[in-house]
Amino acid sequence: MRLKNRTAVIGCALRMPTKPDAESLEELLFEVTQAALKDAGLTIDDIDGIVVASNDQMDGRAISVMAASGSVGGVGRDILSTPSAGEHAFVMGALRIASGQYRTQLIVSWSPTEADSQAEVERIGTDPYYHRRLPLDDLAAYALQATALAAKAPGVHEIALSIAGRHGANDQTSTGPAFRRWPLTHEMTPPPVTGAVALVLASEDFVAPRGGRVAWVRGMNWATETGFLGDRDLSTAPALETAARGAYEEAGVALPRDTIQVAEVSDPTPYQGLLALEALGLSGRHEWASDVKSGAFDFGDKLKINPSGGVRAANAVFCNGLIRIAEAANQVMGRAGGHQVAGVRTALAHAASGFAMQYQTVVVLGQDR
Amino acid sequence: MSNTRVGIIGIGQSAFRARRDDAGYPDLVREAVTLALSDARLELDDIEAVVYSLSPDSMVGIGNAERLGVDAVGARNKRFLRINTGGATGISSVAAAYYHIAAGACDVCMTAGADKVGECGDSQTVLNKIWDPTYERALPLGTITMLAMSAVRYAHKYGMLQEDMAAVVVKNREHAAKNPNAHLRKQVTIDEVMASRLISWPIKLFDCCPQSSGGGAIVLASEKYIKERNLDAVWITGLAHSTESYYLGDRMGVGFTADHADAHALGESFQRAYKMAGITDARKQVHVAELYAPFSNTEFHAIEAAGLAKPFETVPDLRAGRFSLGGDTPVNASGGTLCTNAIAVTAMIRVAEVALQVRGTAGGHQVKGARVGIASGNGGDHQFFGTMVIES
Amino acid sequence: MELMTRNETWNITYRHALGETASFFFANIRDYKKIYGRRCGHTGRVLAPPRAFSDQSLKPTTEWVEIGPGGIIEAFTMVYEEFQNLPPPPYAFGYVRLDKADTAIGGFFRGVDLSDPPAAARKLGIGTRVMTHFAEKRVGDVLDFWFELLD
Repeated sequence: MRLKNRTAVIGCALRMPTKPDAESLEELLFEVTQAALKDAGLTIDDIDGIVVASNDQMDGRAISVMAASGSVGGVGRDILSTPSAGEHAFVMGALRIASGQYRTQLIVSWSPTEADSQAEVERIGTDPYYHRRLPLDDLAAYALQATALAAKAPGVHEIALSIAGRHGANDQTSTGPAFRRWPLTHEMTPPPVTGAVALVLASEDFVAPRGGRVAWVRGMNWATETGFLGDRDLSTAPALETAARGAYEEAGVALPRDTIQVAEVSDPTPYQGLLALEALGLSGRHEWASDVKSGAFDFGDKLKINPSGGVRAANAVFCNGLIRIAEAANQVMGRAGGHQVAGVRTALAHAASGFAMQYQTVVVLGQDR
Repeated sequence: MSNTRVGIIGIGQSAFRARRDDAGYPDLVREAVTLALSDARLELDDIEAVVYSLSPDSMVGIGNAERLGVDAVGARNKRFLRINTGGATGISSVAAAYYHIAAGACDVCMTAGADKVGECGDSQTVLNKIWDPTYERALPLGTITMLAMSAVRYAHKYGMLQEDMAAVVVKNREHAAKNPNAHLRKQVTIDEVMASRLISWPIKLFDCCPQSSGGGAIVLASEKYIKERNLDAVWITGLAHSTESYYLGDRMGVGFTADHADAHALGESFQRAYKMAGITDARKQVHVAELYAPFSNTEFHAIEAAGLAKPFETVPDLRAGRFSLGGDTPVNASGGTLCTNAIAVTAMIRVAEVALQVRGTAGGHQVKGARVGIASGNGGDHQFFGTMVIES
Repeated sequence: MELMTRNETWNITYRHALGETASFFFANIRDYKKIYGRRCGHTGRVLAPPRAFSDQSLKPTTEWVEIGPGGIIEAFTMVYEEFQNLPPPPYAFGYVRLDKADTAIGGFFRGVDLSDPPAAARKLGIGTRVMTHFAEKRVGDVLDFWFELLD
């Protein structure tokens, strides 16, 4: 797949308000949009089109793009919404620029914490025909995947525990049961926080006369698993392998572990993180134990995994995937602040959404076009 | 910079009904997909990417229901994403599929979806939840009441009567009687519409769209693919979206950009699509139109927004038959949204019907000699507007 | 062949943060029976209900403006059909541009005889003056007030 035109990320903003009750959702979106535009050095008048992503059931609004669209500058503008995943909004925006019909795109996704039960929000995503009576939420699906993985990769429980333990519990309750949904512990499953993320994309023609570092999309691919968990081999991630293959090919990356300096990998629990590392060709299951033990990805000089802290640093459930892309872009642009890694020429973002990572998206970003 | 053209090579739609107890939701999607593939003479394996068309999850009662539609559209291990712009979803999905091809991401992209509005129990309850909880959720707003208020303002501004609204229903039912896929196909008279039960002044039962169940699918391909295989295609030559303010009260009062009586952002969207397609005089150049109008009164401002009539002339023009089959520019020859509304795909069916028209395969409701057609979709609280120009 | 069906209900409660602007608006209604709009710095338009920023100009709003209690009807409808979870019919509601505001705010119209729809529609016509009435017990909610015709 050879896209017709190149796309660059030219600005990002992330907001995880510490007091989410202090502002309305629309106000949060206004803020994150203004911040991203400022980061890109643009005003809303420079924006040709907008793509947003959110989840109606999380927002408590039956068409969540409605009240939000004004906040992100949608009035009088071309705005689309991809509720399947935050990262799909990025994909859609990049395709629009690649078509040559848009010079810029604003991408916004958000994840509130206003529902009284995130588990219930997720459970109503199961089909009413066969699975709705089961307590199947995202955590349960991750747990099922963890057990499936353990059957094929003995020793993975210890590795997962050590990953979770090493980065420390970032929250309260260790007074409850040790396991939330076996084998997932509290430490492995950070509580949801309110978050919003916005990115500004631009075409080659738009970027050319401007200065400053941008992050070029060198490769992008996305794929999906089937919907029923029982139809999948949860110990594997074929859709991610497909997505990675296509993204690497487009980016001209033959040996990812050698070419990429930073990888932001979706790790809603350590098990998914490990599975993703394998499917991305960064660390196979026979290398997990030694890589984790040696801290190869933390302290090694070649490739850093999740310098942002990953999902454990901030679990903005719905937009975690798009956050990985923003973090990777920031690394390439030298704008990752306190967790900037030195000398990042090429970064990879892996975004996953849906039960047990049903949707998989891989973006390779680089300083060179 | 050359843009490769994007063509429509396959169209599929269900025969819409109130309920489809014989089929689960994914089955309805599969039904439409099978029809579209057969029309395109392709297999599922030929489809490289899928855009899934699905409007509020709560209407089908499954959160992120598109995830269950993956197999229905043959998207395992393929590129797949979902679009939702409320009622405009179907046309926005076709646009999204267009961009996949125009971007060079693939040569063949399919968009598909389905709805089971009749199974939802009460669509107005769901549609009340589209309003924000801060100021408007406590009010009994729904799409019917919201567009009833548009009718009140339009009547005040342009002098539309309830009999004029009824004339729209009569026209569309006559058209639907010739379209085997339409849901409401029974013809009615102005008197029958006027006598139908009052729902929300001035909208009566027969002024409303039905709650329909069924699916739709369209296969798009690049010009290169079409020429290499010598396929029959019609071309998307213009497309655009624009958006109004979400706040209904901002479309009234003093100093507004858009009046709730009109469809300002739909007009903006058509202007952008026309510019892209090189259409400078819609009245002369457009042969057929499928305009999203779920309530009879809304067909008037849609016709104006499409540039097919001047304000104050639309009502007399419609009463004179300009927009009926056999007239100057038939609007909603399929019966339109007023006769069939499976929300997730309704705006896609507008595109499908125009494609059938300019292809010359619309059957009993064919507009003779149609070569240039337009389609529109509305979503949200009359907020999101997608438009398209399709030519043979 | 037997065709089965299954009933499912969605049961989620949301706790929506209203933010400072909306909170100020509702607190003043609840405590003082006063209604406020907010001025858009860019166009000067007083927006009601108030927002922290204008979605047209994308600029923050700049000052509070007391609006009403009188106003004029900008849009209305009367509902005669029963809808689940919505009030029992008949009822009338719509949008009123309160004095000193430039946009219209939603609310119920009470005290109008709805038994003859065309007559009621004439009474509620666009441009008709109304007065805001407040509930005895107010909780800080859009149902704390409604509109009645002057006569």
